[in-house]
Amino acid sequence: MPLNPASPAPPAGRSPAVKSRRMIDCDVHNSWSTSAVLLPYLDPYFRDFLERGELPGGRDSFPHAHRPWLHPEGYMRTDAIPGDGGAPGSDYDLLCEQLLDRYDVEYAILTGDEAVEASTLANPYLASALARASNDWTLEEWTPRDPRLKASLVVAPQDPPGAAAEIRRLGDHPDVVQVLVSSGSERPYGDPFYHPIWEAAAEVGLPVAAHLGAQGGINANPTGCGPPTFFWEAHALLCETGMGHVASLIAHGVFEKFPNLRFTLIECGVAWLGPILWRLDADYKALRKETPWLKRLPSEYAADHIRLTTQPLEQPKDDAHLRAALEAIDGERTLLFATDYPHWDFDDPELVRIPREWRERVFSENARELYGLPVRRDDRAGAAQPVV
Amino acid sequence: MSERQRLRVCSESELAPGDRIVRDLDGLSVGIFNVHGRFYALHNRCPHRGGALCRGPVTGTALPTSDFEFVYGREGEILRCAWHGWEFDIATGHSLVDPRIRAKTYPVEVADGDVYVVI
Repeated sequence: MPLNPASPAPPAGRSPAVKSRRMIDCDVHNSWSTSAVLLPYLDPYFRDFLERGELPGGRDSFPHAHRPWLHPEGYMRTDAIPGDGGAPGSDYDLLCEQLLDRYDVEYAILTGDEAVEASTLANPYLASALARASNDWTLEEWTPRDPRLKASLVVAPQDPPGAAAEIRRLGDHPDVVQVLVSSGSERPYGDPFYHPIWEAAAEVGLPVAAHLGAQGGINANPTGCGPPTFFWEAHALLCETGMGHVASLIAHGVFEKFPNLRFTLIECGVAWLGPILWRLDADYKALRKETPWLKRLPSEYAADHIRLTTQPLEQPKDDAHLRAALEAIDGERTLLFATDYPHWDFDDPELVRIPREWRERVFSENARELYGLPVRRDDRAGAAQPVV
Repeated sequence: MSERQRLRVCSESELAPGDRIVRDLDGLSVGIFNVHGRFYALHNRCPHRGGALCRGPVTGTALPTSDFEFVYGREGEILRCAWHGWEFDIATGHSLVDPRIRAKTYPVEVADGDVYVVI
């Protein structure tokens, strides 16, 4: 069966005649133009680091170690710069115009922008303080403005006790729908070092997600044979971190230890998962004695516990090849639609090649189940309308 | 096919070299560019994914080389889509990576100091 043929996008600049479609966008970057927005949410000790300490850029920059590949054009959509010249993703009205209203988004899962980069810092206490401040800022400045906005709770994975405490502090907030870490990490996420984080997430009933990024500082090089050279070369290969995390989470028995835990890879690619699971199943069958705590095949744990966001969905020349890759991972049940607004590799929901008969599940129902989101009655959104 | 229309955009003096104007022309969003004194018009819709092509930066680019050199050139002649950054030759609409991919172009005429686009 052919993939959904690309419907023509509304010409940019023309009044967009957008079809009404229930859609949950699982990767929306709310941003700040200056890290000074965090100052009111930091205690005096850590505030001093931002006010007087060294920062990686200008006085507005966020403490983090940048990846060694610099995007040669900047990593933002250039039409998403607000009228005040601020950072793309920093302006609520423009977010409504370019995403929430334009595509009739039922919910947008906010993932922040620079906050997950705190995972690159060597100082775990500073990293957790920045994550806490970022979470308070999102829950004060963003989610109260619009019932369509839901928050990810950013935690610092290099500080498992601090991350677990943050999950227990805010995990039951009604606007928090998941725990978020970066795909860049010191070691694969199945490592017992991280289990206190997953334990806390399972305890409060939140799914966990790892978002592509934070390939700098203390975090491991994202490709096994050494660092790539160019940005596009590296960006295409960053999915490798996703492979490592999937294998590690399954092998270490994280889903036996925390049976209700679900783990989403955001922006880590999709088409590779099937072949990696084939390889994991084959090797496990021969060498199960290394991991006697496992009771099922790796692919069976993945089917129940691993989810993937679609963007950037691979674009083979032949639609049938994409279809086969998506069917290999039961994409109708495991994929969550995402745009990545306002980043440069944004996927337009009108054009993304999701099989037509899967669209209801992939565009909204898989996310609704994962995040426990009620159906919104006021479909035409509007910040003033209360949600029942 | 409907009649072609010749629509006034602006006066020549309002569109200096290096400048652009994005206009709604009879319901069609069109970017009009002055590149080194010559005028060009492109549909404000990227042939890749429908992004706001004409809102993207106007730049130069790396010239093709076969000796592993980096040579910057064609300053002001290249339009990069505002979404995914694909590069297009403003004069022809051709993608620099694959000339078979082409942004829609329109003829531009200058008469009595005014700039017109034919759509």
